[in-house]
Amino acid sequence: METTDVKMDETTQGVTKSPSGARIFWREIVRDKLALISLIFLVLITAFVYGISLILDQKEIVTVDLFAIHQPPSEEFWLGTDYGGRDIFGQLIIGTRNSLSIGILVTLMTGVIGVVYGLISGYFGGHVDNIMMRILDFFLILPFLMVVIVFVAIVPKYSVFTFSLIMTAFLWMGIARLIRSKVLQEKELDYAQASKTLGSSNIKIMFTQVLPNITSLIIVTMTLNLAANIGLESGLSFLGFGFPESTPSLGTLLSYATNPQTLEYRWWIWVPAAVLILLLMLAVRNVGEALKRAADARQRRG
Amino acid sequence: MWKFIVRRLVITFPQIILLSVLVFIMAQMMPGDALSGMIDPNIDPAAIEKQRENLGLNDPWHERYVDWVGGLLQGDLGESFRFKMEVTELVEQRLINSFWLGVATLFFTYLIAIPLGIISGRWNDTWGDQLITGYTYIGFATPLFIFALVMLWVFGFQLQWFPTGGSVEPGLTPGSFDYVWSKFQHLLLPALSLALIATVNTVQYLRSEIVDTKQKDFIITARAKGASESRVYNRHIFRNSLLPIAAFFGFEITGLIGGTVFVEQIFGYPGMGLLFMESILLRDYTVVIAVVLLFGIASILGALISDIILSLVDPRIRIK
Amino acid sequence: MGFLEVEDLKVYFPIKGGLFNRTLGNIKAVDGVSFSIEQGKTYGLVGESGSGKTTTGRAIIGLNDITSGKVLFEGKDLTSKKSKTASVRKDIQMIFQDPYSSLNPKKRVLDIVAEPIRNFEKLSKQEEKKRVQELLEMVGLSPESILKYPHEFSGGQRQRIGVARAIALKPKLIIADEPVSALDVSVQAQVLNFMQDIQKELNLTYLFISHDLGVVKHMCDEIGIMYKGRYVEQGTKQDIFENPQHIYTKRLVAAIPDIDPRHRAEQKQFREDVQREYEQSYNDYFDSEGLAYGLQSVSDTHLVALPEKG
Repeated sequence: METTDVKMDETTQGVTKSPSGARIFWREIVRDKLALISLIFLVLITAFVYGISLILDQKEIVTVDLFAIHQPPSEEFWLGTDYGGRDIFGQLIIGTRNSLSIGILVTLMTGVIGVVYGLISGYFGGHVDNIMMRILDFFLILPFLMVVIVFVAIVPKYSVFTFSLIMTAFLWMGIARLIRSKVLQEKELDYAQASKTLGSSNIKIMFTQVLPNITSLIIVTMTLNLAANIGLESGLSFLGFGFPESTPSLGTLLSYATNPQTLEYRWWIWVPAAVLILLLMLAVRNVGEALKRAADARQRRG
Repeated sequence: MWKFIVRRLVITFPQIILLSVLVFIMAQMMPGDALSGMIDPNIDPAAIEKQRENLGLNDPWHERYVDWVGGLLQGDLGESFRFKMEVTELVEQRLINSFWLGVATLFFTYLIAIPLGIISGRWNDTWGDQLITGYTYIGFATPLFIFALVMLWVFGFQLQWFPTGGSVEPGLTPGSFDYVWSKFQHLLLPALSLALIATVNTVQYLRSEIVDTKQKDFIITARAKGASESRVYNRHIFRNSLLPIAAFFGFEITGLIGGTVFVEQIFGYPGMGLLFMESILLRDYTVVIAVVLLFGIASILGALISDIILSLVDPRIRIK
Repeated sequence: MGFLEVEDLKVYFPIKGGLFNRTLGNIKAVDGVSFSIEQGKTYGLVGESGSGKTTTGRAIIGLNDITSGKVLFEGKDLTSKKSKTASVRKDIQMIFQDPYSSLNPKKRVLDIVAEPIRNFEKLSKQEEKKRVQELLEMVGLSPESILKYPHEFSGGQRQRIGVARAIALKPKLIIADEPVSALDVSVQAQVLNFMQDIQKELNLTYLFISHDLGVVKHMCDEIGIMYKGRYVEQGTKQDIFENPQHIYTKRLVAAIPDIDPRHRAEQKQFREDVQREYEQSYNDYFDSEGLAYGLQSVSDTHLVALPEKG
């Protein structure tokens, strides 16, 4: 009896191996030409700015040179100089690097906070969820830009790190909400229920059982958030409340355009930065959208 | 229905209280207080200390909080130490300017969103739809401040179709036709810049809503019963898809607040956003606090309105 | 003292609503259920969907909160808060209905089967792997499959993995919630027979929850029939299948298909009788709310929900 059973089961095992998550993501990106080009662009530009900025002397670039104020593009200064005689091209490279770095840092920090918050809220549900969601709603309703600017203005010992902390403090809600609603569904599935009957603790179920099943949602959301965060950082830097003076960002270059003279006659200062921000955001979004389709089996192209 | 509205109102009050606490904390963290800005250095420090005591600045924080809220409830937002005038007075004109900017932006937002959304949803996957989808795709990724800068550069400076700063031509008599016309001209470019970016969300929402509804069973039934194509769209699809859009305008307010800071700064339009930026650069913190508080309340009320309209429109939406 | 005793178990789900989200009423999923199971036996819990049979099982293992009543396992009260995490829990395990959702799709078989072992025992990686391979062999799967993912198995194989996981801690009681109803009919018998083999081997007790009387007849020694959260009849297999007393049980029994053509006329007669009785005397079996009455003894082993005579 037992032996025939095994044989029968072996023959019914005609199930084909389905591909792993990473492979599905990769396949979707390759199918989507735009996403593939975007990914290549992102890899190249990241390698380029991080590579070049190793060689570039940041000190020299941000040092004021009064003999070279507002020079048009030349062989020495490929994109001219700003009001302090600083090389625009060098600032563009360093600015892109800084904008990317802070975008990634803030995305990771908000991701960690949002995922943990959403997991706890969704997993425990009930009163815990209710209270946590009311708190989240409150954060969501704050006028983000103004609150961040005020904190940037009043915080003592302002640095890149405190800046990213401030941004994180008011940006974790979106991902937390998404994770929470996914966890609400996920925890009702039998595998999570089964874990309880097997004696696993709540924390263990949350982080070792439920978390692996929501990774694709986390990756997709964080990619799309990265695009938004790059935009937000450059916006804040544009207003003068982003990076500290000594650390140029793409937004800093654009802020020179608040001077009508620069806006009207010296386009080479701000247009390249504007184009670069736009391309970065579009490229990250393209990749994110492709990942989103890959995560949802019904929308997959490949 | 009324149950939902009451419950929604009940959670609005703690939100406003929390906001006031947050703003109060920010005010406390700011360097200096109501006196440090107006003090003549020749005055004896002991006298200053006495004055502080009298004004209650040395009280424990919760007493100061109660005092502060008490003042707010009587409409006392404090005094700007840069402009040496009541914040309420200072804010009044700016608020009116921002209000009109907001109204114009919302108007353009819907004016653009509804036809584009309908065209793109009804005739999806035609070249028209692809054009509109392309616009929303770019619009989604474009930061507002870059777009506003480009608009100013192209239409303000290169083509010179619009004024490039302020809210009205100086020297015109308030109330005259020229004055109103000039106000309108100054409003147009900032409002359009905001609307063209803000509308993208709504266009996309409307499109996917229409495309979804098209495939629903009740639409197929309506067609099967022999309803004409225009009847199917006007009576069944648009009614279902447009109503939620109407409710979004409360949420748009929250988005607008962030947007006005950029747009007013770029176009030099003297509204609340510009006031905020000027005050924070001048370290005029009473004004900063007042603006944050007012905008915070505005977004809380905006979300409240939207939730209520949504619940009227769509009975499925309920909060626990 | 029985092995597992359930006394007047009630599980209510509150209906929330109103202005401040007060509890407006209750859905009485399980409404005063009592039964006991002897060690080594299989007890069948039968009912249509929504009858509360699954909720009863989930309440015993602690997945649903018990509103009132007692669950005694080897004399220990499971309803008190303390015992929820105590080692009693490892003596009771569960097999789930859906083999597709009850195994975490992101985990390898090794991790799935080892999960309970890791929670209760400290084993080295090597020992653990050996244990899992033994368990897999026991349920008739190849020990080499420990590094595969659940989606690489068929439904029947997955259910075997579920069983391997459930017996990993050598439990005494297994609650099997419709363990075969999600499987192809062709695989059902295999899994059932193999569950019986394992029962003998490990001296297991089953609480077997099912809507399928045919399966229950095959598996169970004693049977309880539930309807709308209450018991309508309880007895041995013989009591229920040969001498059904309650009209609800009779209708269930009458609905079992019989392929033997010699019984055709008999069967038809029985069905018509039951139908007539149902139409004529429905009110004798259910109260004004359509719920079953309290249980009355018919014999030592046989209890039926009938109105008190008088």
